[in-house]
Amino acid sequence: MSWHRTLPRRVGSSLLPWLLPISLLLLWELAARLGWLSTRILPEPLAVVQAGITLALSGELWQHVKVSALRALTGFAIGGGLGLLLGLLTGSFRRVEVALDTTLQMIRNIPPLALIPLVILWFGIDETAKLFLIAFGVFFALYINTFHGIRSVDPALIEMGKSYGLKGWLLYREVILPGALSSILVGVRYALGFMWVILIVAETISAQAGIGYMTMNAREFLQTDVVLLGILLYAVLGKLADVAARLLERRWLKWNTAYSAA
Amino acid sequence: MNIDTVELGQVQEAAATAPGLAVGINRLVKRFGDRQVLHGLDLSIAPGEFVAIVGRSGCGKSTLLRLLAGLDAVSEGDIRLDRQDAKAAREDVRMMFQDARLLPWRSVIQNISIGLEGSRSQIRARALEVLAQVGLADRADEWPARLSGGQRQRVALARALIHRPRLLLLDEPLGALDALTRIEMQRLIEQIWRQHQFTAVLVTHDVSEAVALADRILLVEDGRITLDEAVSLPRPREHGETLFARLEGRILKRLMTVEAINNRNQIRGRITEIVVDKVLSEVRILTPAGLLTSTVLTRSLAEQPLELGGDVLATFKSNEVLLATEG
Repeated sequence: MSWHRTLPRRVGSSLLPWLLPISLLLLWELAARLGWLSTRILPEPLAVVQAGITLALSGELWQHVKVSALRALTGFAIGGGLGLLLGLLTGSFRRVEVALDTTLQMIRNIPPLALIPLVILWFGIDETAKLFLIAFGVFFALYINTFHGIRSVDPALIEMGKSYGLKGWLLYREVILPGALSSILVGVRYALGFMWVILIVAETISAQAGIGYMTMNAREFLQTDVVLLGILLYAVLGKLADVAARLLERRWLKWNTAYSAA
Repeated sequence: MNIDTVELGQVQEAAATAPGLAVGINRLVKRFGDRQVLHGLDLSIAPGEFVAIVGRSGCGKSTLLRLLAGLDAVSEGDIRLDRQDAKAAREDVRMMFQDARLLPWRSVIQNISIGLEGSRSQIRARALEVLAQVGLADRADEWPARLSGGQRQRVALARALIHRPRLLLLDEPLGALDALTRIEMQRLIEQIWRQHQFTAVLVTHDVSEAVALADRILLVEDGRITLDEAVSLPRPREHGETLFARLEGRILKRLMTVEAINNRNQIRGRITEIVVDKVLSEVRILTPAGLLTSTVLTRSLAEQPLELGGDVLATFKSNEVLLATEG
C-alpha cells in the first residue's frame, strides 16, 4: 500500500538533483542559438554531442580514450603498487619504518608537478615522463594511507588473534590486512582522483595521442566543441574511477555498517 | 534415541581427556618497569574449580589473569598447569576478554572458527554445535556488527569453547552488559562450566557475580591475596536468597575496609604542632620518615579534637592525608 504512495515521491526526489543542470544546459543551448554566445568561446551543447558522435564513429575518440586510460592506469599500477608495498613494509616492521619513513616524508612534500622541468630533462617528453609523474603523484596517497591503516589496527584484536594461535601470514591475512583495508581504500580513492589531475597536465605538455593530445590539437584549429568534449571525457573518466573505487569499498567492506548498501 | 547416543559420545569424550587443569602459582611477581603489580602471589586451584577474583581496579587481578593466559611475561616465580610449565598447556587455555574482540570483517561462524585447522565442513559442523550451546545457531552467518553486546559475548564464549579449553579465563566478560543480560550470561556460563567441567578463573568487579558463580572467592589487594573464601551455597544460586545476600554483604564490606588495613599507604606518627585557622587547620606530625603535614577542616577539628603529643595513624589518599587516633 505504502509502496504506491511513495513511488511518485521517490521518482520526484531522484529527478530533483537533475533539474538544475538540465535547465542550465537548455539555457546554454538557447543562448548559443540566439547568438548571445560566440562559438569561439563556447559551442552549443548539441555541437559537442555531434563532435562526440563524429569522433566516435570514426574510431578516433576510442583510440584517444584508450591511450589515456591505459597511460593513467599503468602509472597508477606502478606508483600505487609501490606505495602499497612500502606502506605495508613500514607499517609492519619498525626497522623498515626507521630506515625509510623520514626520507619518504621529506620527498612527499615535493609537489609532483614541480618536478616537470626535471622530468623532461631526464626522460624527454615521451611516455616515460608521463608515467613517472603519475606514479610519483599516486605513490604517496597509497603509501601514507596503507602505513596508517596498518598502524591503526586495533591491538586488542591482534592480541586476541595471537592468543588463539594465529601468527605470521595467518595473523596478517585474518587480522592486520582486513583491519587496514578501509584506510587503504581511502588511499586508492584519493590516488585515483589525483591520477587524472596529473594525467591531464602531463598530456597537455606534449603527447602524440590521448585525450590531452586531442584537445590541444583541437585548440590549434579553434574547434571549441572538441576541446569541450575532451574536458567532459576527463570528467567522465574521473567519475568512472570513483565509482569503481566505491564498488570496491562496498564489496570489501560490506561487514562495515558504514559502507553496506542497506 | 539419536540424541542420546550423541550425548553419550560427548560424555565419554569429555571423560577421556581430564576436563580441568590444575593451576599452581608460586611466589608470582610481576613488574611493569619500576612499578610492581604482583608481590609474590601464591595460589593453587583444583581441577574443575570455579574461582572468582574480586578487587578494586588496579589491584593486579587482571594482570594475574593475563599472566595465566601467557599474554604477558612473568617477572619472577612460576605458573604451573597440571604440574608442568605453563607453556606446555598453552593450547588448553582460552581467554574471554572484557570486550568480545570479534573480528568485524568475519562472520559469526568465521570468528568462532579462528585458529582451527581441518576440513571446512568439519569446522563448520563443530562451530554450529558450539553456537547452539550458546543459543545463537540461527545467527551463524551474521556480521558481528549486527549483534547486541550480550550476543557478541556469547559468540566470544563459543569461540573459546570450540577449542575445548581445560582452563577458561574470564576477564570481566560481563562488565559492559546490562543487569538482566548479565544474569542470563552468568547462568549460561555456569551451565556450560558444569557441562564441560573445565577449570574457570573469573575476574570481576561485581561481588554478586562472584557469589553467583564461584566455588571460591579470592580478594586481591595490592598484588596479594587477602581473602580466600569458599562458597558452599547450592547451585543454581538465586540472587535474592538470604544466604546469598549475607555472603555478598560480607565480602563487599571486606572489600571496602581492606583499604584501611592496608599498611602500604599508612604511617604512624606523633602530633608536634597544630596551626588553627578560620576554615582550614594544619596538623604537623613527626613520623619515622620525617615531618608530615595534614590539612583538616577546623570544624572537624573542633568535633574530634587532636592532642599535641598524641599518636596518630596517617593514611595517604589520592589527594589528602587522613588522620586516625588509637582507640
